[in-house]
Amino acid sequence: MNPRIHPDFDSAFSRRAFLQRNSLGLGGVALACLLGDEKLLANPPTKPVDPHVLDLKPRQPHFQPRAKAMISLFMQGGPSHVDLLDPKPELTRLNDTNYDQQVEFSGVNRASRKLFASPWKFAPHGASGTEVSELLPHTAGIVDDICVIRSMKAQINNHDLRYFFGGIPGIPGRPSLGAWMLYGLGCESQELPAYVVLSDPASLPVDEAMNWTAGFMPPMFQGTLLRPQEPRIVNLDPPARLKGLPQQQNMALLAELNRRHLDGHPGEADLEARIASYELAARMQTAAKEALDVGQETEATQKLYGMDNPTTRDFGTRCLIARRLVERGVRFVQLFLERQVWDHHLNIRANLPAVCLRSDQPSAALVTDLKARGLLDTTVVHWGGEIGRLPVMEAEANPLHAGRDHNGQGFSMWLAGGRFRGGMTFGSTDEVGHHAVENIVTPNDFQATLLHQFGLDHQKLVYNHNGRDQSLTDNRPARVVGEIIHSAGV
Amino acid sequence: MTPHASLRVGHRLGCHWRKKGVRNRFAIPFVNWRLPPFPAPAPQPQSRLPIAWYTSLFPRLRPFVFSASSATRHRRVPAAVQSFCLAATALALLAIGSIAAADAPSPAAPANQPALTFEKDIRPIFKAFCFDCHGAEAEHKGGLDLRLRRLIAAGGETGPAIVPGDAAKSLLLEKLRAGEMPPSEKKVPAEQIAKIEAWIAAGAPTLHDEPAEIGPEVDITPEERSYWAFQPPAMPAISQFASTDRVRTPIDAVLVGHLREKGLAFSPDADRPTLIRRASFDLIGLPPTPEEIAQFVADPAPDAYEKLIDRLLASPHYGERWGRHWLDVAGYADSRGATADAPRPHVYKYRDYVIRSLNADKPWNEFLVEQLAGDELVPQPHKNLSPDQIDKLVATGFLRMAVDATGTVPDLEQASNQVLADTIKIVSSGLLGLTVGCAQCHDHRYDPISQRDYYSIRAVFEPALNPAHWRYENQRFVSLNTEEEQARTAAIEADAVKITEERTARQTELLAVELEKELALLPEALRDPLRLAWQTAADKRSPEQTKQLMESPRIGGLSGGTLYLYNPKAAADLKEFGDRAAALRATKPAENMISVLTEVPGETPATHLFYRGDLKQPRDEIAPADLTIATPPGVRFLIPAHDPMLPTTGRRLAWARHLVDGRHPLVGRVLVNRIWLHHFGRPLVDTPGDFGVLGARPNLPELLDLLAVELVNDGWSLKRLHRQIMTSTVYRQSSHGDPAKEAIDSANNLYWRMPLQRLDAEVLRDRMLATAGILDRTMFGPPVPVEDDATGQVVVKSDLPRRSIYLQVQRNKPVTFLTAFDAPVMETNCDRRLSSTVATQSLMMMNSEVVLKRSAALADRLAQQTPVDFPAPGALNIPSGTAQWQFGAGRFDWSSDRVADFRPLPTWNGSAWNGTGQTADPALAYVSLTRSGSLPCDSQHAALRRWTAPADGTLSIDGRLNHPAAAGDGIEARIVSSRHGVAGQWLVHKSAVATTPGPLEVKQGDTIDFVVDCRESTDADAAEWIAELRLAATDGNQLGHWNSAADFAGPQMPSLASQVAYAWQLAFGRPITAEEFSAVGPFLAQRIDDLGHNFHADPARGAMADLSQQLLSANEFLYVD
Repeated sequence: MNPRIHPDFDSAFSRRAFLQRNSLGLGGVALACLLGDEKLLANPPTKPVDPHVLDLKPRQPHFQPRAKAMISLFMQGGPSHVDLLDPKPELTRLNDTNYDQQVEFSGVNRASRKLFASPWKFAPHGASGTEVSELLPHTAGIVDDICVIRSMKAQINNHDLRYFFGGIPGIPGRPSLGAWMLYGLGCESQELPAYVVLSDPASLPVDEAMNWTAGFMPPMFQGTLLRPQEPRIVNLDPPARLKGLPQQQNMALLAELNRRHLDGHPGEADLEARIASYELAARMQTAAKEALDVGQETEATQKLYGMDNPTTRDFGTRCLIARRLVERGVRFVQLFLERQVWDHHLNIRANLPAVCLRSDQPSAALVTDLKARGLLDTTVVHWGGEIGRLPVMEAEANPLHAGRDHNGQGFSMWLAGGRFRGGMTFGSTDEVGHHAVENIVTPNDFQATLLHQFGLDHQKLVYNHNGRDQSLTDNRPARVVGEIIHSAGV
Repeated sequence: MTPHASLRVGHRLGCHWRKKGVRNRFAIPFVNWRLPPFPAPAPQPQSRLPIAWYTSLFPRLRPFVFSASSATRHRRVPAAVQSFCLAATALALLAIGSIAAADAPSPAAPANQPALTFEKDIRPIFKAFCFDCHGAEAEHKGGLDLRLRRLIAAGGETGPAIVPGDAAKSLLLEKLRAGEMPPSEKKVPAEQIAKIEAWIAAGAPTLHDEPAEIGPEVDITPEERSYWAFQPPAMPAISQFASTDRVRTPIDAVLVGHLREKGLAFSPDADRPTLIRRASFDLIGLPPTPEEIAQFVADPAPDAYEKLIDRLLASPHYGERWGRHWLDVAGYADSRGATADAPRPHVYKYRDYVIRSLNADKPWNEFLVEQLAGDELVPQPHKNLSPDQIDKLVATGFLRMAVDATGTVPDLEQASNQVLADTIKIVSSGLLGLTVGCAQCHDHRYDPISQRDYYSIRAVFEPALNPAHWRYENQRFVSLNTEEEQARTAAIEADAVKITEERTARQTELLAVELEKELALLPEALRDPLRLAWQTAADKRSPEQTKQLMESPRIGGLSGGTLYLYNPKAAADLKEFGDRAAALRATKPAENMISVLTEVPGETPATHLFYRGDLKQPRDEIAPADLTIATPPGVRFLIPAHDPMLPTTGRRLAWARHLVDGRHPLVGRVLVNRIWLHHFGRPLVDTPGDFGVLGARPNLPELLDLLAVELVNDGWSLKRLHRQIMTSTVYRQSSHGDPAKEAIDSANNLYWRMPLQRLDAEVLRDRMLATAGILDRTMFGPPVPVEDDATGQVVVKSDLPRRSIYLQVQRNKPVTFLTAFDAPVMETNCDRRLSSTVATQSLMMMNSEVVLKRSAALADRLAQQTPVDFPAPGALNIPSGTAQWQFGAGRFDWSSDRVADFRPLPTWNGSAWNGTGQTADPALAYVSLTRSGSLPCDSQHAALRRWTAPADGTLSIDGRLNHPAAAGDGIEARIVSSRHGVAGQWLVHKSAVATTPGPLEVKQGDTIDFVVDCRESTDADAAEWIAELRLAATDGNQLGHWNSAADFAGPQMPSLASQVAYAWQLAFGRPITAEEFSAVGPFLAQRIDDLGHNFHADPARGAMADLSQQLLSANEFLYVD
């Protein structure tokens, strides 16, 4: 039994109640966050005993948030920025010559220093004139709504998504970005999982659940992985035998048993909360089903997402589900394609267009659709991977089947909505696209910036674990990249 | 602070703690004293009041004189008794000081607020924000040292930092206000700056004269020393109370004082069924059986409850329940953690050691010493070990629980440093209740733990976790095999090593081939220099060679580790060597291994303080010692660098023995706090892993001290402590609320009732298994494996019903059901579990495979094991029943169009009615009827299921008949009315039909037979036939409703009513109430009706499974009173 659970959260944690509890050494920074009281935050931390926040009810952030929800289209494997979002004329000019700078290789047996111009053409689009590759015709159509960051720098040269999502290389057990968001903000919907992960039917991403783990936080903050096909939510549906009336009868009996039990324990908050949680679960069964039912969408919308085309159907469906979830108050949705599908060490000429065909239209449709529904202002859409690819060729022995090796030193991604500035590019890589050189953005900068859009200060959002106030960026250098944020209208 | 006089109490049932001589201090005859009308005037706090004072308040109270033994006992801890009052006073001071530091002063603060002083109010602010640069290090930035008031006034390079009495002229204040200081992002909050200002304005007063100089070691102020957790626990004065207060133990005496002060009193004792449930879940984590409950409820002995506690404490399941609590603290897992999360196959022996030690009530001091230094108690080399020595070695598994990435990441130094840091974390939060981790980088900002202190503790463990002689996972084992077996093992290993050497040689050849291939692709001129560069060791290469390799990355990248990329066949080739070596190694005698932590004799690393925690910046060498604050001023516990009597350094042994010497301020308190937590669901100090300044304060400090002192005096026996707690009134109270008391103490801080507790995840799972009657109580052994199911949930492999403590703890793959109910995911260790209430738990209870399986198992158990005469509060109003049915053999007579020669089947085997099996009556011998199945014998001996009409009316029959077998020639089936003859007939062979004749008129006593007959062949004649019968009166009113499968019964089947009543007994450990019973009736009726409609093979069982599921999901099942 935990005396601090109370269904009537607001009254139980009124300011006065907080101060009273605090004097007994309860209370703490987590609660102070809830109260949104910066003055309390500025006090020396009275350490949170343990997370008092045992529900996911919405909480006040540190300051006025710009965004309410986020959809991350995670392109695991490392999309080739020099072929997609970062045009490099100098690379084209130097094509086939040897690169004379230090390069770190992963596929050493196929390593080469031969510079490899993009086989695809770039052209400016939209009012902003942002250049994107011919492989992304739909993205080209939304350039005025997206901010392309061309100076991402992961420093490490391998697929470490965890690092990207809030981990520290070599240290296990850190909560992911989504877990931090839930911890700081709760969720507007109590009838849907607050943090949803949509994976590909072909396979889970590499590192699987580590990508949406709650780490040292309670499991309620972790991502809920939806199955790639129905039933998408585990345990949501009763087995066939119990569907409909039988389960209603069961729940009625359970409610009756619990009511009689509660009569013997009047006012016992834990018991009331659990009774309510059964009611919530029953509502969830309807609400989640409804949210996942893309059949309710018009044909035009389904077509926009490419659901009429076998190539784009699956990713399109998931992008559309993501929009429906966000519309219903879900805080964070993470989408993955299969494994490291963008990891084009070889055969990039054939394989990169193939994965673009699967993902380009749905990704752009999501932005278009959110915008049309007036949701883009409050929803961040993120598109990108954990690394980029080298400007030199991998497997030069057979140039037609060549590819590109990992490049953690410079790559691109884009952000849309949530008061990020559309129609801009930010930062740049060197002349051939190997290193980010201008306005470098690290994963920690990325994390701090995202939290900022949600009204959270990455240094103040702390969770006490093992006697230490832990934060997402863990005291590593991190800056809010103000240049890509709309300053007006805040 | 106890407001009561130091009288000791007598009590009626209080003799149970008197078994040992030392405890008869409370043994005084009970006198039925009466106290003045409640509430009594609360005596004012005063450390010790004369007895005369007390008796004057309570004139009819007979003064109690200390018994000899209690006096003796007091002589044993006289200083402690004295200092309790000091501690209490200190606490009062601190309560003001520390809260003032944590909370902003209210603007309307009373004018008579105590004056600010440097020690109490200002120094903690500087410590938190400034000491890193202006105090902690040998060098002070800008020459400014903020540790003493006079040093602050003296100032640094830019002059005096403060001008006492003149805040406006104080540079320090200016810098703080401007945000210039501290330079980091974390600024001093405005109200604290205001406090500093007020202090300067008041002349910057100090509490004490300041020391002439500050040593490097000790920088602890008297104020920090006086913090409650650093005082040795002291036996509180225990007041005397009368029987009306139901004081049974000293614990009650302490609590009742507080309760009365607030106008509260204990709640009444819980009833006996509640008590046995509470005690069983608490001590053994399993529900009591109905028999155990009945026996306890009926036990007339005055000490029935005490006997119950003793029985539970003696149960082998006690160790499983309380071992789990300790494994949380230790951070037990069967895998290593980090990315690979490889299994640790032998560590389960540590888990078993914990269970066995607790069952044996191994004194906790011994238990701790073994876990910290068991290896130092066993002579080296570790050979021919006795069971006791094996235990001591296994115990060191405690220090091997940390996540360990060594061997899987390139940087051993960093990875091993992390292991050491995590181990210190586990030890310090688990044993000392302190978070020392932050002192790895700098002095603790809030607690008096210096960075040097941290490294002193590190020096205790570094010889065993020595990066220079790191023992990788596979080097931590001690074999328990015989010498002969070990010799054989060694011989095989030597051969295997030879194969490995061959592999290396082969790899070298293969590398050379690839090198030449790659070189051949390059211009002639480059080849020789590149070959030479490649062959040169990396650290011997000239810059020119390094550059050459950089420019030819394929040559530069070629190595043993990347060979597979160049030549996939080579990998297969080399793997063959590995396979051979593995096959050979597999022939080793089975190894009985234990995982051990020990030191490499003669290798003692120097422990250095790492500047800012950076292991690349070692500074002063630090000697092993306990924390400075844990001993009184001037008597620091220093540990010799090397114990000359031991091959190892003996540091851990010395420290461990010191921790349990009975005087340590933290160890005992931390332990009893956890024990209280597990009994009551909430601790006395709300932060079990942090008793420091940032942790919680005890709301009942003298209770904490009482328990801590008693623990030591009772020889560190946990079982005695359990007994003392559980036989107290506070534990025996009802958990029910009381509005009047809620109004006074809604949070139940003073324990005026027993808190309601949700079961821990493991107990919930075990309770489900036990209730369903399928719990496998096998103890000990290798972990039960877990796996992913089709939906990605982690489940127990083969759903083995072992107790949860034996399930594999794979850090990256925690069992879904357990983590859903807040079982810890072992990232490091777990101080205290949460109790969450989320909808996913509810969905799991409603729909998950695992809960549905348990429900079905419980329904099976009810059908099979409910005592036939188990009393129910009434009959269930379910309009069906077995009374209308008979099961027999006979024949269909063509001439009369009726059934003839009906004979009931004589034998029941538990699931079927059968013929005699006697040759004298061979035909009858082979007829058989089961719930839904019918097996005729031959054309003269059909299987008959006979229904007799209980009233006149119209009968409608709806049925489904299936003959599944392809063999034989099928069967003939008929419905035959005794009044009208054949109502319908069907021939079925490997097919199914609906058997729905039109409405039949029946009179009371008419029979309807469901006849299954053979055709020509008597092969494969088994048929499934389920029929629904509805009888309506002529006016259309329903008279009844039957289902041939639901109503099927043997001679001694328990009625559904008995099953329902028994279900309550099994699930909730109490009889069903009449109201509940009457609610269940309609539910079952609905469900049976529904299932019958769907031709469920066993509607009653299905309905009981649904009922069972609701019982297993009910709050009464999830929570314990």
